[in-house]
Amino acid sequence: MSHTLIDERDSGWRANLNLVIERRAARAVITHRSHCGPLRVQRPFYPEGDELCHVYMLHPPGGVVGGDELLIELEMKAGASALFTTPAAGKFYRSGGPGARQTQNLRVAANAVLEWLPQETIIYDGARAELGTRVELAHGARFIGWEILCLGRPGSGEVFRHGGVRQRLELWREGRPLYIERARYEENSAVLTASWGLAGCSVSGTLLCVADAGEYIDQLRETVLPAAGLFSVTQLDGVIVCRYLGDHAEEARWCFETAWSVLRPAYLQRPVCTPRIWAT
Amino acid sequence: MGIDIKADGTALLRLLQLTSPALPVGAFAYSQGLEYAVHARWVHDEVTAQEWICSLMREAVARLDVPLLARLYHAWENDDEEALHYWSAYLHASREARELQEEDMHLGSALARLLRDLALPRALPWVTHPHTAYPVLFALAAVEWRIALPEAAHGYLWAWCEAQVAAAIKLVPLGQTAGQRILSRVVIEIPAAVEEALVLSDDEIAYVAPRLAIGSALHENQYSRLFRS
Repeated sequence: MSHTLIDERDSGWRANLNLVIERRAARAVITHRSHCGPLRVQRPFYPEGDELCHVYMLHPPGGVVGGDELLIELEMKAGASALFTTPAAGKFYRSGGPGARQTQNLRVAANAVLEWLPQETIIYDGARAELGTRVELAHGARFIGWEILCLGRPGSGEVFRHGGVRQRLELWREGRPLYIERARYEENSAVLTASWGLAGCSVSGTLLCVADAGEYIDQLRETVLPAAGLFSVTQLDGVIVCRYLGDHAEEARWCFETAWSVLRPAYLQRPVCTPRIWAT
Repeated sequence: MGIDIKADGTALLRLLQLTSPALPVGAFAYSQGLEYAVHARWVHDEVTAQEWICSLMREAVARLDVPLLARLYHAWENDDEEALHYWSAYLHASREARELQEEDMHLGSALARLLRDLALPRALPWVTHPHTAYPVLFALAAVEWRIALPEAAHGYLWAWCEAQVAAAIKLVPLGQTAGQRILSRVVIEIPAAVEEALVLSDDEIAYVAPRLAIGSALHENQYSRLFRS
């Protein structure tokens, strides 16, 4: 064998981003930041005052190709609050050879609050990607976050027919699984077209909000009414789950931003403060 | 595969007992999202019902419930409490809508009570466990009644499909013969599904059913309903 997987991976980016956010004198501060490769964050903003910082995460310019490995490690220390978003969609390009991998490990300590609101991830036809997000919550930690996945680029008429995506979205609280979603979208797999699966849709998304009481469920159902796609809300044991299925990333974002505008005041006791970057 | 009736005449009969629609756990009250699928016309005739049931069985139930059933089966064999709790919590966290989570808990606790009353004391703690998943108790019954794992897995999938077909007959609606045609298709597909399911590594346990998950959540508010899921 002339090439092992590891050899081929050596040709891609290996990008890491390590962040620690702490609460220091009532201010949320990035106390540790290290990165290697083209993954980084901008200087945090404080549009809501010192207590909570808005952080923009920049993915590799020009997207991710086969062999790239991105690793994001975020630690929210006790009592710290932060909102993360991205200025642009993540893009995974067609790969003839090895796959690309993006791993996000988010740890939220006691009474810390994390809002994880990235733009969508676009998987180009022919891409092979492994996307993993694992959120670990300590007692009293709060979390609202979403992931939006676009298979192919319906806007340009590109359907996802080749390649494969494995996606994991996991929420753990004090060592116990709270929410587990593990998808496998392979070329020709039934889930792409099945009536119970994606049913031919290209955009799917999940929003998770750690919460026990379902008193805002009806309000969400009445408020979030997409014109074209499907949207649903359900209260699982310890977590509210909203889902989108359709063909429009913009509509998915609108659904989740609108849901967030209901959930944020309800569960984080904060009025909505839209990240500036979303308006541009 | 192959139950040797002479070697153990009771295993086959116990499997029939465990997978019978007459098992008093209340499975008939649940449609697992099929009721909303019919309401939304995603399922509207025999062909679409067969497609829904067969491919969900193959792609979803056989990729989550069955590999977990196998892990739970081994955990009962080895009296591995930690594994039982871990995989039970894992299943609970994998159910994608409230009604599916509740269905699993209701059936699980009902089977725990039944097994306790049938003199299987290991079922007792699961009667009141906060998230008893049905496969946990199904696996216990299989181990206690000496049903081999592959047979138990065949039976699990069969019982799931039979309940879905019964729901489809009421909801679509379909004739009894159409229901039997779907089950005849299921019979052809189950062996391969079990074979694949039992060799999956932990990392390969993956399943997602986006529109079923949405339909099941929308079912919570469906105006007129026969089923609890």
